[in-house]
Amino acid sequence: MTTTLQDTATAASARGLTRTYGAGEGAVHALRGIDLDVPAGRFTAIMGPSGSGKSTLMHCLAGLDAATSGSVTVAGRDLAGLDDTALTLFRREHVGFVFQAFNLLPMLTAGQNIVLPLELSGRALDRERYDQIVGVLGLADRLGHLPSQLSGGQQQRVAIARALVTQPAIVFADEPTGNLDSEASAEVLDHLRRSVRELGMTVVMVTHELGAAAYADDVVVIHDGAVTAHLTEPGQDELVAALRGRRA
Amino acid sequence: MRTVLLASLRHHTRRYVAAALAVVIGVAFVVVTGMLTGAMREGLTADVGAPVAAVDHVVTVDDPRAAARLVDGAAEEGVPALTLGYAMESVAREGVQLAASADIAEASLDPALQWQVLEDGRFPSGPGEAVADVNAAKSTDVAIGDVLTIGTGKAASDVEVVGLVDSPPALGASLYVPWQVLDRFRGTLWVDSVAWGGTEELALGIAPGATVEPAQEWVAARQAEISRGVDILAVMALIFVAIALVVGVMVIANTFAILFAQRQREFALLRCVGVTRRQLRRAVRVEALVLGVVASALGLAAGMAMGHGLVALVRHWFADMGPATLPPAWVGGAFAVGILVTLLAAWLPTRSATKVAPLAALRPDTGVDVRSAAGRWRMVLAGLFLVGGTVLLAASVATHAVPVMLVGGVVAFVGVLLLGPVLVPALIRLVGGLPGAGPVRRLATGNAVRNPRRTATTAASLLVGVTLTTAVLTGLASSRTELDREMDVSHPIDATITAVDGPLDAGLAERAGALELVADVAVLDGTTATIGGVEVPLAGVGAQPGVVRGGRDLVPDDSVLHLPYAVVDELPARLGKQVRDDQEVTVTVAGRERSLQVVVSDGWGRAGLVSQATLAALDPAPQPVALWVRASEGADAEDLRGDLAALSGAAGAGLDGGYSQRAWVDLQVDILTGAVVGLLGIAIVIALVGIANTLGLSVLERGRENALLRAMGLTRTQLRRAMAAEGLLLSTVATVLGIALGLVFAWVGVQVLIASVVEDARLTVPALQVAGVALVAALAGLAACVLPARKAARVTPAAGLALD
Repeated sequence: MTTTLQDTATAASARGLTRTYGAGEGAVHALRGIDLDVPAGRFTAIMGPSGSGKSTLMHCLAGLDAATSGSVTVAGRDLAGLDDTALTLFRREHVGFVFQAFNLLPMLTAGQNIVLPLELSGRALDRERYDQIVGVLGLADRLGHLPSQLSGGQQQRVAIARALVTQPAIVFADEPTGNLDSEASAEVLDHLRRSVRELGMTVVMVTHELGAAAYADDVVVIHDGAVTAHLTEPGQDELVAALRGRRA
Repeated sequence: MRTVLLASLRHHTRRYVAAALAVVIGVAFVVVTGMLTGAMREGLTADVGAPVAAVDHVVTVDDPRAAARLVDGAAEEGVPALTLGYAMESVAREGVQLAASADIAEASLDPALQWQVLEDGRFPSGPGEAVADVNAAKSTDVAIGDVLTIGTGKAASDVEVVGLVDSPPALGASLYVPWQVLDRFRGTLWVDSVAWGGTEELALGIAPGATVEPAQEWVAARQAEISRGVDILAVMALIFVAIALVVGVMVIANTFAILFAQRQREFALLRCVGVTRRQLRRAVRVEALVLGVVASALGLAAGMAMGHGLVALVRHWFADMGPATLPPAWVGGAFAVGILVTLLAAWLPTRSATKVAPLAALRPDTGVDVRSAAGRWRMVLAGLFLVGGTVLLAASVATHAVPVMLVGGVVAFVGVLLLGPVLVPALIRLVGGLPGAGPVRRLATGNAVRNPRRTATTAASLLVGVTLTTAVLTGLASSRTELDREMDVSHPIDATITAVDGPLDAGLAERAGALELVADVAVLDGTTATIGGVEVPLAGVGAQPGVVRGGRDLVPDDSVLHLPYAVVDELPARLGKQVRDDQEVTVTVAGRERSLQVVVSDGWGRAGLVSQATLAALDPAPQPVALWVRASEGADAEDLRGDLAALSGAAGAGLDGGYSQRAWVDLQVDILTGAVVGLLGIAIVIALVGIANTLGLSVLERGRENALLRAMGLTRTQLRRAMAAEGLLLSTVATVLGIALGLVFAWVGVQVLIASVVEDARLTVPALQVAGVALVAALAGLAACVLPARKAARVTPAAGLALD
C-alpha cells in the first residue's frame, strides 16, 4: 500500500529501516524494515496506536536515534555513519523540533527561546523572517514573557516558532497537542498547517489523535513497526478504515 | 509507610551519596582527631613514672640551688637522689658543633636510678662519661666512644659517650651526664624536682621551702598536666571539625532540599492516597535518620582506618606517638555528631517539602522548575546581621577586644550568607555577562541563577572555607611581617664569627664567602681590648654593612662602645654594675687606657663595636676580628650553622647569629599555616562534594531540558562546556567573595590582635598564597563538574526526551 510521490521533492526518506532495542530473547523490534518518503512542502502525519513505533520512526528520521539497519536520508544527506557531533550539527542546520512537553527552557523568555537554535549554531538572525514567523504564529506581544507566564497553546506556538526560525529542511512535531485541551490543540494544529502553507515548511507530526491527523496533507499509518498505509489527503472515513484495516 | 520508606531509600540511594559523603568525612575527621590525640596522650604519658620508679618521694623545689643542695645532702647521707630537669647547652665534637642547644639531663651513677633503657654500651661510671639518647645520636651520627664537648667558655666540659639509651619522650633528653658535669651549667640548668630516696624529713631539712610528695602522686600530676596539654590540641582540632561540620550541614541541607523538590510529585501522590502530612514528615525524617546512621557508621570505619594509618605513619618518625587508641567517648561522640548533623540538616527542607498539597500530583507536569526567591524578612534579617556585625567589628578594632571581634565576624558572615540568594546570583550574572559571552556561557549563567537559594547555599559552603583560609593566610602573613621586623631588630645579622684569641685568619672571609649557603660576608677589622681583665675583641664599624638585615643602625658614634650583654655578664660583678650604671668603661689596648661611653645591647656576637675613628685612635694597625654573614635566601639553618661551625672551629673563633632563630620562627609560622590550611582544606573538600552534588542533581532534573537542547543542536562538547561553565561560575563567585571577605576579616584581625602589641601593624596580603587558594578553588569547582557533565552528555537526546 506504500505509495511514492514522484512529482514532489523528497524531504526525508527511509529504506529498509529497522530499529531493535536489546538483543536475543528480550529484543524489542520497534521498527521492522520501513520504506518511506516524506514529501517536501507538505504536512505529513505519522499515526499509530501506542507502542506502534511511530516515535521511534520520528527519532530515527530526525537523527535523534541511530538505525539498527537500513538507511535514512534527510535533506539529501545519508545519516548513516555520522557520529554524534556530526548528527548534532546536522540537526542544528536542517531539522526543527516541537515536542509534547518540556518544550521551552524555563529560564529564557519566549523571544530568547525562539532564537536559541540560531545562537547555538552562531548564525545571524534573519529579522524579516523572524518577524514573519512571529506574526504568523501570533506571538508578537508575548516575546518578553517567560514560559511559565504563557498558556499551554502559547507555549507550543513558541516552540513552533523556534523550530521554524532556522529555516530547517524538515520540522518534526512529536504529539504537539498531547498536553493541550481541544481549543488549544486546534489553534496549534492550525498554526502548524499555516507554517506549511504560508511559510513553505515541511512538517512531520507524530500523533495518535484522529482529529490531529485531519489537519495533515498526508497520513502515514504505522502498526507494529511497519508502515501499513500512506494516504494522500485522506477523508475521515478513509483514515478510520486505514487505522482499522490492520485490526480487522 | 515502611514499604514506601524502604522502597524510596532503595530508589534514591545514589542521590544521597554526596550527603552521605559529607557526613562520612565529618565523622571520620572527628575519629581521626580522637585517635591522633589519644595516641599522643598515650605516648606522652607512658613511662612518665620511669625516673621515679625506684624512689618513694619526689621533692619539688623552686630553685636549682636547692636541688643542688639536695643532691649533695643525699650523697652525704647515702640516699638515692636524681634531679629531674635539664640544661640547654651547645654540643660539639672535635671542634664541630653538633647542636647549638641540646637538652642535657642527669645520668645517675647509682644503678637503681639508671631508669633509661640501655640499648648499647653501658651506663656512666664517672664524671667523664655520658650516655646519649639513641634517636638523638642517630640524627647527629654520634657513636659510642665519641668525645663530646658540652657548653662553651669556662664551663665547657668533655665527656665520652659510653652507651646509647632509649628514654620516653615526655622526660627524655638528648644526652645524659653525671650530676658533677651537669651542675656546671647553672646558667641554663632548669631543675624543679628531684627523685628522692630518703625520708620527707631529710628533704625538708636540707631544702626547707620544698614540697615533698609521694612519687605516685607526682606521676599522676605530670600525666594530668600532659593530658591537659593534649586536650587543648584536641579542642583546637575540634574547632576545625566544627567548621567542616557546618559546611557539611549546608551540603546535606541543600541535598535534601533538591531531592525533596524533585520528589514533590511523589510526596503529593502519597498524600493523595491517604498519607497524612505527619506520616509523610516522619517518613522523610526516618529517611534522614537512616542516612545519618549509615553514613556515621561508614565515617567511623573510615576514620578508624585512616587514624590507624596516620598514627602508624607518625610513629614511624616520632617516638612521641603511642599506639592508636580510640576512647569509647570519642566513638559515641562522633557517631552522635554524624546523626545530629544529618537530622539538623534535614529539618528545614523536610518542613517545607511536606507542605505539598495533594493536588500537586494531579496537575499537568510542567517540568521541575522550582523557583525559590528570597523573602523580604530574610533581606531585613540579613541587613540587621550585616550592620550589627560591622558595628561589632568596628568596636573590636577600637577596643582590641578579641571576643567582640569573633562575635562580630560570625554575625557579619551570617549576614552575608543570608544575603546569598540575592548576592550570589547577582554576582554570577555579573561574571557570566562579562564581554565575550557565547550561547554556552549564557546558558550556564541562566542555569546557575535559576534557583537562587540553591545556588546561594552551594556557594556558601565553599565561601566558608575560602573566607577562613584567606583570613588565616593573610593574618599569618601579617604576623610574619611583624615577626620579621622584630627579628631584624633583635637579630640583625644571620651569623657572626668572632675572634677569640688573636685576629681571624685572613682567608676565613674568602672561605666563608665561598659557601653555597652564604650570600654575603662583611669583614670587620678591629683589635683586642682588655676590660676589667676580660679580653674583648673590638670591631670597628664604618658604614652600615650590607649583610645587616632591617633598619637597625649598628654604627656607633665616636667614643661610644657598643657592648653585648654577654660580655658585660662576664665582667667582674662590680665592674659590670658600674658599666650598667655609669654607662662608661675604661678599655685597655696594648697598654694604653681609654675611657669610652657604653651602650649595652645585643645581636652581633661576642665583640664590642666602635666607630672607625675610635678604632684608629685605639689601634693604628687593626686586623680582622669579626665576620658578619648573610645567609642565602632559604638556606637551611642547620646546614649553615654546621658549615660555619666547621670554619670557626678550625679558626678557633666563636660562632653566633640569629639565623637559626629566624629560621625557627619561620618554620613555626609555616607549620601553623600548613596545619590550619590543611584542616580548613577538609571543609573545602566537603564544599566541593556539595558543588558536584548540586550539579549532579540538577543534571537529573534537567534531563529533558538537556535532551531538548541536544535535539536542537547543542553538541555534546557544548553541553559539557555549559556544565563546566556553571560549576566554574559558582566556584569563582564563591572564591572571589570569600577572598574579599577573608581580607576584610584579616584586616580586622590584624588591627585587633597585632596592632594592640605592635605599633602601625600593616596588613600583608600573601598574594601568591591567595592566588593559590583562588586557583585551587576554581580548579576544584571545575573538577566537581567532571562527573555530572559526563553524565549529562552521555544521555542521547532520544533517551533524554523519554525521561520522566
